[in-house]
Amino acid sequence: MGPPSRDAWAQRLGAFRTSPAAFLAGAEGEHLGRDLLSDLRSEKLSEPTKVSLLALSLEYPAQLWPDAPAAEAAATSLLDTLVLLPPRPSALRRPLLLATTTVLVAGGALGPSSGASGRLLPLLLGLASGRDVGRSFGPASEQRPLQATACECLRELESCQPGLLGGSLGPLRSLLGQGGPVQPLSLLLALTLRHTLLVRGRSGAGLRSLLLAGVSSGGSAWDWTLAKGDVHLQPQAPCWPTAEGEQGPAEGEPSSEDTQELRATVAQLLDASYLLTPVAQAQLLWLLGWALRGLRTQPPVLFKPQLVRLLGTAQLALLHSILALKAAFGEALFTAQDEALLLRRLTLAAQHPSLPQPTHLFYLHCILTFPENWPLGPEGEEAAPLLLGPQLCRSLMPSLLHEPMALLARLHLLCLCCAEDEDEEKGRVQSPQQYLEELLAGLRQRAALEGGPRALAILCFQASYLVASCLAKQLTVVTPLIHGLAQLYQARPVLAPHFVDLLDQLGPELREPLRQVLRQEVVSRPVRDEALRWHLHMLAKVAGGDAQNATLSFLQAAAAHCTDWGLQQALLGVCRVLLQTSGGAGLADLLQVLARQLEDPDGRDHARLYYILLAHLAGPKLGMALGPSLAVPALASSLVAENQGFTATLMVQETPAPIQLSLGPQRAKGPFPVLQLQVETLEPVYSLELRFHVEGQLYGPLEAIHVPCLCPGRPTHPLSLSLQPRCPAPAQLDVQALYTTPAGLTCHACLPPLAVSFADLFLPFPQAPKGAESNFFEELWDSCLPKGAESRVWCPLGPQSLETLVARHLGPFVVVAQPPTSYHIAVRLPPDSMLLLRLEMARGDGVPVALRTDDWAVLPLAGDYLRGLSAC
Amino acid sequence: MAQRALWLVRHEPGTPPGGTVRFSRRFPTVEKRAKVFNGASYVPIPEDGPFLKALLFEFRLLDDDKDFVESRDSCSRINKTSIYRLPLGGQELWPVIAFLRNGMIYASIPLVEQTLSPPPPLISISGISQGLELLFGIQDFLFSGQKNDTELNTRLSQLPDLLLQACPFGTLLDANLQNSMDNTDFASVTQLPKQPAWKAGTYKGKPQVFISITEKVKSMQYDKQDVADTWQVVGTVVCKCDLEGIMPNVTMSLSLPTNGSPLQDILVHPCVTSLDSAILTASSIDGMDDSAFSGPYKFPFTPPLESFNLCYYTSQVPVPPILGFYQMKEEEVQLKLTVNLKLHESVKNNFEFCEAHIPFYNRGSITHLEYKVSFGQLDVFREKSLLVWTIGQKFPKSMEISLSGTVTFGSKSRDKQPFDHICIGTTAYVKDEN
Repeated sequence: MGPPSRDAWAQRLGAFRTSPAAFLAGAEGEHLGRDLLSDLRSEKLSEPTKVSLLALSLEYPAQLWPDAPAAEAAATSLLDTLVLLPPRPSALRRPLLLATTTVLVAGGALGPSSGASGRLLPLLLGLASGRDVGRSFGPASEQRPLQATACECLRELESCQPGLLGGSLGPLRSLLGQGGPVQPLSLLLALTLRHTLLVRGRSGAGLRSLLLAGVSSGGSAWDWTLAKGDVHLQPQAPCWPTAEGEQGPAEGEPSSEDTQELRATVAQLLDASYLLTPVAQAQLLWLLGWALRGLRTQPPVLFKPQLVRLLGTAQLALLHSILALKAAFGEALFTAQDEALLLRRLTLAAQHPSLPQPTHLFYLHCILTFPENWPLGPEGEEAAPLLLGPQLCRSLMPSLLHEPMALLARLHLLCLCCAEDEDEEKGRVQSPQQYLEELLAGLRQRAALEGGPRALAILCFQASYLVASCLAKQLTVVTPLIHGLAQLYQARPVLAPHFVDLLDQLGPELREPLRQVLRQEVVSRPVRDEALRWHLHMLAKVAGGDAQNATLSFLQAAAAHCTDWGLQQALLGVCRVLLQTSGGAGLADLLQVLARQLEDPDGRDHARLYYILLAHLAGPKLGMALGPSLAVPALASSLVAENQGFTATLMVQETPAPIQLSLGPQRAKGPFPVLQLQVETLEPVYSLELRFHVEGQLYGPLEAIHVPCLCPGRPTHPLSLSLQPRCPAPAQLDVQALYTTPAGLTCHACLPPLAVSFADLFLPFPQAPKGAESNFFEELWDSCLPKGAESRVWCPLGPQSLETLVARHLGPFVVVAQPPTSYHIAVRLPPDSMLLLRLEMARGDGVPVALRTDDWAVLPLAGDYLRGLSAC
Repeated sequence: MAQRALWLVRHEPGTPPGGTVRFSRRFPTVEKRAKVFNGASYVPIPEDGPFLKALLFEFRLLDDDKDFVESRDSCSRINKTSIYRLPLGGQELWPVIAFLRNGMIYASIPLVEQTLSPPPPLISISGISQGLELLFGIQDFLFSGQKNDTELNTRLSQLPDLLLQACPFGTLLDANLQNSMDNTDFASVTQLPKQPAWKAGTYKGKPQVFISITEKVKSMQYDKQDVADTWQVVGTVVCKCDLEGIMPNVTMSLSLPTNGSPLQDILVHPCVTSLDSAILTASSIDGMDDSAFSGPYKFPFTPPLESFNLCYYTSQVPVPPILGFYQMKEEEVQLKLTVNLKLHESVKNNFEFCEAHIPFYNRGSITHLEYKVSFGQLDVFREKSLLVWTIGQKFPKSMEISLSGTVTFGSKSRDKQPFDHICIGTTAYVKDEN
């Protein structure tokens, strides 16, 4: 298949440019990069077509050759193409150099290990120095433009890999002196100088030798040492804001030779700067400003001769670069008089009728963020410069005839001035405050124009917001502003969305008064208004608070005019807000009326629902029910959100338990066993009800326990749960908790079951009279038989003695004790059983226990209990 | 100081989506740096389609966006410069320099050599002024002397090659694109050392210097006792020097006529080599007093080859050259208007041409016109909603002329008719051209 024709390429490139990602994902995308490289050498394609192919590789190298090996291969191919060009004039050499540079950098292939980099760099340096670089480099007429292009390529490489050309400072400098192309060489030298100072530490040690070095003998490999430092493109705050020595103090003072050489080079660059185009002059000043900032040995006075010339120009880039120098050097370069002059020129340029609007706006920004010699306020905050006296300020007053952005910028300045000299200005013919007031009134008047574009309304509200946020504390400004806005609403209710937005954005100290005024404004309007929709929209934002009666009567009157679904919903929306904020009897009446009167069944249903909610729920709970639901994403329709909100609030939520229950130490007393429960919680819990349930009919029904409030970390009294066993058996208690969260939600949780052990059921017999204990026990002992049972069990003692064992587990139940050898123990087991133990004659690791009970079913339990005692 | 990308977007009202990208250019090496400098706050350059949509939305130029949209229209979203923050696929592209001029949006994104969060102040970003200069340069190139769409298309097609000269890697070398074009032509001429970069070659031939001074008067006349009328003259001195040598030195000296008002707010071309401090400080901010510097105004400079604006100034003349009276009454569907113009006796009654333009904004096209003029003739541009009153080369002897008439407008379709955010209802102006 031959190479595609010119038209085919044009089509292909067009398709690619429309959407590179889509094209590359398609069938044709795969081979685009390869085809492009091979067709560059095709003899059938014309030069303009080839230039357009190169233009593509200049713009999209990362898409065409995405990784470093592909980029390396592409760059090699481009270099080969360049070398193979016949030695006649060709339009391809420049774009080929540019493309190779771009491909290497964009693909991340530039580096010591890259063959293409190794070829390109010496070639560029050779071209830049005007040396003969071989036969393919065309006729002499092309040398000059190629020399400039090579400089540009080197500058780009140095920009992306700082330090790359550090070794070539000397040759570049001597080239500039010998009449090489001034602009490209100056910029390249300035950039390299800046990077070298950065790489070598701020001292610039050894700079002299670099600046004086001659052209290295050809053939040696490129010196990458300076390019490998860790400064490689560190994000840096270039030379803003004013903070001399921000990058730390100079690392040692440079030698005087270095200083001298550096100064000579900078002076050489600045002297020739007049020959550069204005934008390039500006770049040079930025670069040198960056380079010399923080160098104590380099007084910035070198820049001074340029300043007077530059201050007179109308050129944006030049004035901007002067501001950069101002920020970098401050007082060292600009005396107070200079600062005043600069500010004056800036003020002048910010309003000069011959300059375009974007320039005015930028200068206004520069005034608001003017780099002062002695700034007062915090950095980064917009402020009026100190030297901007009332006269300069007056010349920048906003007027209704300004474009919106210019008006806002000037208005901001005016606000800052008003904020500053609140007192000084009194007694003038027209104080800035008065002017401000009139301006805002004018803006409102324009926004109120029937059929006016929305842009005017936006501007009016932006201006109001700006003034309100700058001058919130100045009542003389804010009060008329608020009343003016109310009048604007009166004139054009269709602006309601803007008012709602403004209320959302304003600080609380202004929001409340504005809300109040707007509410009064709305409720005093006739309801037969075409703008009823907007009134309701507005009320939904401003309703609530005092004077609800007026709101309610407005709504009541409005109900008759709410004929369509949308209006009814808006009306109900306001009711909803009232429900949330205040409620009250009047609202209940209104809702009842609505529930009967509204035409739309949906509206009636809603009104009824709201009424029921109002009648049955306490304020906080109602607030929760109607508040924004967390369960629903914000974008869901209000109806869905509403329903979800109700579900969440009015129904009991199943949650994992935030409560832990545990059994405390037993208190064997009273007619029934009582469990001591310790309760802990992870979050505040209110109105807690603990419900217990036991499987089967082992115990009688258990009463629920109520706790009014539980807080994490706060000690609680143990809770008592009395058991009414129907037979003396251990059991599992299922526990459920029902409680309210601080947010008002009612939750239900199942807690882990509680185990009631056999010993938990033990109760002592009433104390026998003194001296009769033994008889009492013997009587009990005898009474067990014959209907009961008798047994003997070995009770291991473990490491403890019999005395300790008894004291620990059976203390309350001992009837007769002859420590340490013999204990007679009687345990009452509700409802009506007993367990009698004789522990006698302990032998080393255990004690034989004779036991009797009147309930044979207790035997196995008693046996297990005794055998397990030593382990407890 | 480099640009990451640039776009030219033609605003085309009424055709969805409201515009097309006429030119775009990306600079991948700069993008590479942006990725490193911006770090985590880096937002990649979008493709043309999404960028176009976001830009038109921001400029309120999409066809379907007349309603309040909080993300764009909120009162707290105050933009005071031509630098925008464009929401794109969940991220925000910033800073986007953009402005609309002659139906074309010029946009570029400068490299910010640090992190973008928090956003640094614009004044600290060198690429902002460079980007604006680039866009102004493109605008000058596209529209200087250009009259129709074919010419515009030709110039647009020349842009890629020109930018390859003037801005090969995203760093602007010369904002004067015409210069880059000439540079290519001059390539064969052997350039001399110390050749200024803003001068493509040297002139050979008869030495001559052309100078023209254009002055525009902006005046607001209230016809009220208690409100003072205002007027301001804005002047431009255009210069073309055909002189031999690489760096010929020229000094131009401007003197005021007898009783002439002093020049103020003087801004000069960068080729001016030095300025008197009296010129630097003469400013309208101070108002007028007798101590104001009244010249002669000396401008030493080395001229470039092409015609250039040597300086701009303003001045405050004692009386406006033409006194006007403009009255407009809205009566249902039609407007009744009266315009009276009176030439001041101090002005020489002799013009190349003299016209009064009476534009109508924010209305439909003109459907009907009845009028009477005391002098000259009236042309109607119905589609443009514009009346042009051609007065000719002289006012009549009385120095006073008048126009009265009624205008009827068709229904308003905002996309086609001239839009202005000030001239609403009966707010309007008259523009005299001569």
